[in-house]
Amino acid sequence: MDFEEPAHIARIRAEAEAFAAQHVTPTVVEEELRTGDGVNRPLMEAMGARGWVALTWPREEGGAGLDPFEAAVVLGVIRAAGGPTVGAGTTMLAANAVRALASDDLKARILPGVAAGTTLICLGFTEPEGGSDVFACKTRAVRDGDEWVINGQKMFTTYAHRADYCFLLTRSVPGSTGPTGLTMFLVPLDTPGIEIQPVHTMGYERTNIVFYNEVRVPDNLVVGVPDHGLSVIRAALQAEQSVAPSSRTRQLYESARAWAASATDPAGRPVAADPTVRARLARLSIDAEVADLLGIRVAFLEQLGGKPGPHAALFGPETYVAWSKEVLDMVGPQGAADWSDPECVAGGVFEYHYRSAVASTIYGGSSEVLRSLIAEQSLGLSRSRPKA
Amino acid sequence: MNLRLTEEQQALRETFAALFAKQCPPDVVRAAEPLGHDAALWARMADVGLLHIGVPEDLGGAGAGLFELVLVAEEAGRRLVPVPLAETVAATRLLVACGAHDLLRRALEGTRLVSLAPAPGPLATQVLADGAVADAVLGLVDGRLVAVSRPADVRAISNMGSLPLARWSDTADAEVLAEGPGVAQAFSRALCEVRVLRAVALVGLAAEAIELGAAYARERSAFGIPIGSYQAVAHPLADALVAKDGAQLLTWKASWALDSDHGDAPVLARQSFIFAAEVASHAAQHSLHIHGGYGFTQECDIQLYYRRAQAWAAVVADPGRELLALADGILLQEAMEPEGVARGL
Repeated sequence: MDFEEPAHIARIRAEAEAFAAQHVTPTVVEEELRTGDGVNRPLMEAMGARGWVALTWPREEGGAGLDPFEAAVVLGVIRAAGGPTVGAGTTMLAANAVRALASDDLKARILPGVAAGTTLICLGFTEPEGGSDVFACKTRAVRDGDEWVINGQKMFTTYAHRADYCFLLTRSVPGSTGPTGLTMFLVPLDTPGIEIQPVHTMGYERTNIVFYNEVRVPDNLVVGVPDHGLSVIRAALQAEQSVAPSSRTRQLYESARAWAASATDPAGRPVAADPTVRARLARLSIDAEVADLLGIRVAFLEQLGGKPGPHAALFGPETYVAWSKEVLDMVGPQGAADWSDPECVAGGVFEYHYRSAVASTIYGGSSEVLRSLIAEQSLGLSRSRPKA
Repeated sequence: MNLRLTEEQQALRETFAALFAKQCPPDVVRAAEPLGHDAALWARMADVGLLHIGVPEDLGGAGAGLFELVLVAEEAGRRLVPVPLAETVAATRLLVACGAHDLLRRALEGTRLVSLAPAPGPLATQVLADGAVADAVLGLVDGRLVAVSRPADVRAISNMGSLPLARWSDTADAEVLAEGPGVAQAFSRALCEVRVLRAVALVGLAAEAIELGAAYARERSAFGIPIGSYQAVAHPLADALVAKDGAQLLTWKASWALDSDHGDAPVLARQSFIFAAEVASHAAQHSLHIHGGYGFTQECDIQLYYRRAQAWAAVVADPGRELLALADGILLQEAMEPEGVARGL
């Protein structure tokens, strides 16, 4: 049992910090804040050149041969510097499924570009009426000769307007329900019949609703076996519970600590002398530590081939949301000023956290669903949701 | 970073888990109330060498660290074992650190039950965690480590946590064991160890409280279905389980930091204590509530956990005041991160 950061992790962290200093420029950061695209193509290509898009793939496939924890450290450093990493992470969800289950032909066509950072793939899973139930899929795919015709719509297709392909979930067996009768496609986003409409979030992110109207896709863009898409989704979602080297709660805490160490109240007294600030900061430090430790435990159990429950995925985001409010309370009215205003506190970081935190308890699996999974899997309580 | 236990650590944990499960079912816990001390069980602990675990081999111990003791203390907490563990273990290790070999030998033999004061300063003003049963209590008075011997008239304080609490108003029989610059540091390290050991006992308590609640929720039906299938019952229990796992990891990290003389050890020790106190309290509270009115009766085991969840923490320190002490520690930590919105992305 050892909590020391191993030398190879410290080394890769230093490499990632040097990379971020060079490539995550103030322009990149500000562009992401303005657009909320979640991806920056020159940054992706610079990452790809080092094997840092497909970080865990072997070098001969364009990766860097890193272990999952090293990979998470690299992405964590780039993200902490303000560089968008949603594009890289999401592309890899789809790419890992393609690598595991697609035809050799499709692999050869897609994967080298993915590893190089030039091919971007977004996810078309969620539908307007689906939400947490990803299998409530109504988008239809109908075979027509050696083509398929797709009709439907998808919500929350982040960076669809920047991506090359959409990893699309469709229902191909008419009348099927739940996780059966599904087919996964890689749909080129320049195909006629696709319409992308922006959806702006309160958390400085742009996502999209994507309409598919008589979209014709060749049969060789099916990923895996038609009508048996469940295993393909599983292969992709396995990576969703990915290793986090440092929680958002930790990032919020470090910023709050830096603020508390230097800020003064309107009367000129150091806020660090205020017992209410001290008590809250101390309590936040505990949640930050616990969120990180639960994340390390996921990495450790995965290394052993185990299947850790979504404990870290519940605790991290829940504490992140709760503290994003408490910290703003401490900072006071000026904390509400956003990053673009010269009055903003600490570069607007606390305003940013408050806006974006709440989504973190939704998009990686909503907290309600995660609590039910833990109750069923770890406590043996009966299932509360209807069976599909 | 590696969370794997060695084979020896695994075996140690399993041995004590089995021992406590066998020797300390709930009727033994009840029989030891209200004093909260089972002399026969304590003698048995001396036989199996509980206090020897964390003492160096050349002094007759097993040469293990605080982490091994943490593994044992969690199992003791799970079964509410009515023997004084945290303060006696920390006191024994403090005797090692200060070279008080004579008293150490007698503590290891089981002929003197040596405990520790909750804070520096005169003992007469403090409520002593093991005061009703200890033969001697170590304190830090005027920068000197003293062993105060039990006075003639000690009255056990009847209390809801079934802890052997007492005040010692007469502290005249005191022997100076050590003095000098390292003594205060050794004493505060011992207090860190008490926090971690009490914290992990609370983790064990929380784990069993959650299991009792889950077991009841699996079996008990209301309105025709098991109550565990109601999310209002299940979800707080899931939160408690996650927090309990986090608290366990925090005690592991704190004991690792103390064992390896890491600079963050005092911060981690306080963090683990504060968090475990909160986690145990929430877990016991929700679990009792799952039991409904039955949970409120003496007959139900969960009330044993509910009362101790509060008292085991209170005997160490008020978690709220501990937060302020923790703030002193974290504001002194190194390297502030650069500011800016970039930190948040």
